[in-house]
Amino acid sequence: MKMLVVFSQTGGLKYIGHLDLMRAMQRALRRSGLPVKYSQGFNPHIILGFAAPLSVGTEGLREVMEVPLEKEISAQHFLDALNQALPPLIRCVSARQVDDSHPAPMALCVAARFSITPPEERQKLLAAVPGFMERTSIPATRKSKKGMVEIDIRPLIYNLIARDDHLDAVLALAESGTCKPEILIQALGEYAGVSSMRCQIVRTGLLSAQFAPLEDA
Amino acid sequence: MDASKLARLEELLPTVEKPARYIGGEMNTQIKQRLQDTATFAFCFPDIYEVAMSHLGMKILYYILNKEPDMLCERVMMPWADMADHLRQERIPLFSLETRTALSDFDVVGFTLQYEMSYTNILEMLDLGGIAVKSVEREEMAPIVIAGGPCAFNPEPLASFIDCFVIGDGETAIVEVTALIKRLRLAGNSRADILLALSQIEGCYVPSLYEVCYKADGRVLSFEPLQAGVPVTVRKRVELDLNAAAFPDEIPVPYTEIVHDRIAIEIMRGCTRGCRFCQAGMLYRPVRERSLETLYSLAERLVKATGYEEMSLSSLSSGDFGQLAELIHGLMDRFAAQRVSVSLPSMRIDSLVKQSLEETREVRKSGLTLAPEAGTQRLRDVINKGVSQADLVRSVTDAFQSGWNTVKLYFMIGLPTETDADLVSIGQTAKAVLDAYYALPKDKRMPGLKITLSASTFVPKAFTPFQWEAQDGIEEMKRKQVLLRDILNMKGVFFSWHEAELSVIEACVARGDRRLGNVIYTAWQRGCRLDGWREHFKYDEWMRAFMANGLDPAFYAHRVRDKEELLPWAFIDAGVTQQYLWLERERAIEGVVTPDCRSGCQGCGLYRFEGACIA
Repeated sequence: MKMLVVFSQTGGLKYIGHLDLMRAMQRALRRSGLPVKYSQGFNPHIILGFAAPLSVGTEGLREVMEVPLEKEISAQHFLDALNQALPPLIRCVSARQVDDSHPAPMALCVAARFSITPPEERQKLLAAVPGFMERTSIPATRKSKKGMVEIDIRPLIYNLIARDDHLDAVLALAESGTCKPEILIQALGEYAGVSSMRCQIVRTGLLSAQFAPLEDA
Repeated sequence: MDASKLARLEELLPTVEKPARYIGGEMNTQIKQRLQDTATFAFCFPDIYEVAMSHLGMKILYYILNKEPDMLCERVMMPWADMADHLRQERIPLFSLETRTALSDFDVVGFTLQYEMSYTNILEMLDLGGIAVKSVEREEMAPIVIAGGPCAFNPEPLASFIDCFVIGDGETAIVEVTALIKRLRLAGNSRADILLALSQIEGCYVPSLYEVCYKADGRVLSFEPLQAGVPVTVRKRVELDLNAAAFPDEIPVPYTEIVHDRIAIEIMRGCTRGCRFCQAGMLYRPVRERSLETLYSLAERLVKATGYEEMSLSSLSSGDFGQLAELIHGLMDRFAAQRVSVSLPSMRIDSLVKQSLEETREVRKSGLTLAPEAGTQRLRDVINKGVSQADLVRSVTDAFQSGWNTVKLYFMIGLPTETDADLVSIGQTAKAVLDAYYALPKDKRMPGLKITLSASTFVPKAFTPFQWEAQDGIEEMKRKQVLLRDILNMKGVFFSWHEAELSVIEACVARGDRRLGNVIYTAWQRGCRLDGWREHFKYDEWMRAFMANGLDPAFYAHRVRDKEELLPWAFIDAGVTQQYLWLERERAIEGVVTPDCRSGCQGCGLYRFEGACIA
C-alpha cells in the first residue's frame, strides 16, 4: 500500500530547494521508524513520489507526496509518527491509505492554486485584473533549456481573482503546460504599468482534473 | 534585533545566494530561554554555513554548552560576501541562526580556529556583529571574545582581537570559562577583572596580560607576563578519558547540502605515528580511544536522532584504532538493515585492511583516499611517513579487485630536503597505481579508472619538527607545480594543486608573531575576507598590508630559524616539548625514522601528563 500525504512547508523553509526537501523528508521518515520502502542498488534511498516541486522562495500549504510502505499501518499512526519526526516548519496535514495501483500524484496533477500578495502599488495591480483576463492572448517569455521562449500564458491561467489585498490564481501545472506565478506577475505588472516587484507567493493547493484537490482524487 | 531590522532581513533573504544558509531551524537545534542568569554563548565559525556545519568540534561544544541548565549556545557563521554587504549597508547586525540575536548580545563570543586563512573572517564577523574588532577598543560590557581550536596553538597573530584563548581540548574548559565569565559579570566585576581571572584557568591565555619585545631584526627578544601571578607558561588542556568526555547524541541536521553531510563519530583522538609535517599529529597527543561500548551507544542514539544514512568514523588515523575490525563489524550488524553506511576517512596505507574495505562497501560505495605525501622513500623517511610504495600498490590493488575505480592520492611539494628527483618519483607512483589497475584482467576491474592526484604546497606549522624550516619561495613553488603537471600528463590521472600565493600567506600567519595582527587588520580593512575562497582571495592586498606595516612576508615564510630563536608560540606547553621537536628535526635532516610510540616511548613530552600515554 501507499500513503498519500498532504504536508505544509512554511516560514524559512521556503528557501530550501526540492532536493533539500526530499532529503529532509527522507531523514524524517528514517527517524520516524515507519516501514518505508527502499530502492535497490549501492545507494539505497527511501522511495517517495512528490506531486510537483515547489520553487525556492514559495511556501506550500497543501503539498502532496506518496510514500510506498512495506506493510499496512493506519493513516493516523503514520501522521503522528511522521509529525513527531519532522522539523517544526514541515507539518503533515493529512494522510490517506491508497492502493499501490493508485496513480502517482505527479500524474494526477493538472494545476495549482496560489495566493499572491504584491508589496506595493497594490491597487493598481489588483484593478488591472479584469481587463487582463479579458485578453484572448497574453504573450510572455519563459526560460527553457533552449533559452528564452515566447509562450501564450492566457490558456494556462484557469482563474485569477483580485481580493482585497492579494490575488488568487489557479495556474496550469502539468506536463502539457505550466505557468509559474512569477511569469503571471511579470505579465500582469507589465499590463498594469507596474514595475517589477517581489510578491509573496504561497502555493495553497494542488489540483487534479475537474480542479478537485489532488489528495482527494 | 529590533522588529524593523528583522523585517528588513526577511526582505533581503530572497535576494541573496543560498538563503537557506541563514534560516536556522534545523532538526535538533536548541532554542533555550534566556533568563537573567543564563550564560549566553555565541559559537562562531569563521567560514560559511556549508563548512561550519561539517565541523565536528562545533557540534560537540554546542551540545555540551546547551546541556548545562544555566547556559545556552547559539551558532553564528560567516555570511557569504553578498549577505555581508547587505548586512553592513542595512545596519543589520550579524545574528545567531537560532534566535536571530545580534552577536553583541551574548556574554561570550567564541571562535574556533581551524584554518589561518579564516582570520579576516573573524574581524569581519566581529565588525558585522557590532563588537569592536580590537580587544582594547571593546566597551566594558561588550562580550568576552574567546578562541580555541588547533590554530590557537600559535595565538599571537590574533592577540589584538581575541580577549582570551583556550588552548587544547575544549570539552571541560569551555564550561569553566563560560561559567566564570557569567559569575563575575553577575557579581559586577570589571572586564579587566574577568580577564585576569581567566588567565588563572589552566589552558587560558590572555594576550593583554603579556608583553613582547623584538630585536632590531624582527625576531622575538622577550615574552613576559605584565604582572605577578599571570602564568609564564600556558599548558594545553587534555581530556584524558574520552569515554568520560561528553559527545553529542543528537546533532543539528542541515537542510541544504554541506561539505560533510553525515554523522561523524570521533573514535579516537591523537596519533602516535609522528609524521613530521603534521601539526594535528603533534597537537592532539596523547592517543585516546573510545570504547566499543561507548561508540555503539553513541552511534545508535545518533542514527535515531538524525535519520542520517551515513556515518563516518573520525580520527587522525582510523586504521590505528585498536579494535577497528570489530567496530566495523559491530556497526554493520547494527545498521545494515537501516541502510546506514559506515565510512572510514584517514586510513593509512599500511593499515588498509582488505576486509574492512569490502565491508564498508557492502552498504554504500565511496571513493578511496590515500596519502603517500612524498614520491621517494628517502623523502618519506625525512617526513617520517612510514609507508612504502609496495604498501601503496598492495592497497590500491586490493581496492581495484574489490570493485573500486576511483582513487585520490595526496602529495605535498616543497618539503624540507626535496629535490626534483622526489617530484619525478611522484609521477612514477602515479604510474605504479595505473599499472596496478591495468594488471588486473578486464573482467576483474570496474571500468572508468580515475586517479585524482592532489599536490598541496608544504606550509611549515608551529609545534612540528619543521617549525624552524623555510617554505619554498613563490617562484620555486610555481616551477615545481609546472614540472609536476608535465610529469603527470597521463591518461586517467587528474592533477590539482594549491594556489602558491595562498600557501605563502598561510605560512606567514601560521608562524606569525603579534605584529602580524596589524597585517591581518590592514588586509581586512582593504577588503580581504573569505580568503580561503579562490574568488575572494586578494594576494595583492595582503602584500600591500605587509608593506603598510613595514613587515616582510619572507621573514615569516621563507626564513630558516635557528635553535636558539625564541619562537612566538614557545610559551605554550603543547605537551610535545620543543627539545623533542628539535631532536625530530635533526633526525629528519639525517633521514632517520622514528617508530610509532605505541611500540616504545620516544620521550615526546606527553609522559609529563599523568596517565596520558597508553604505551
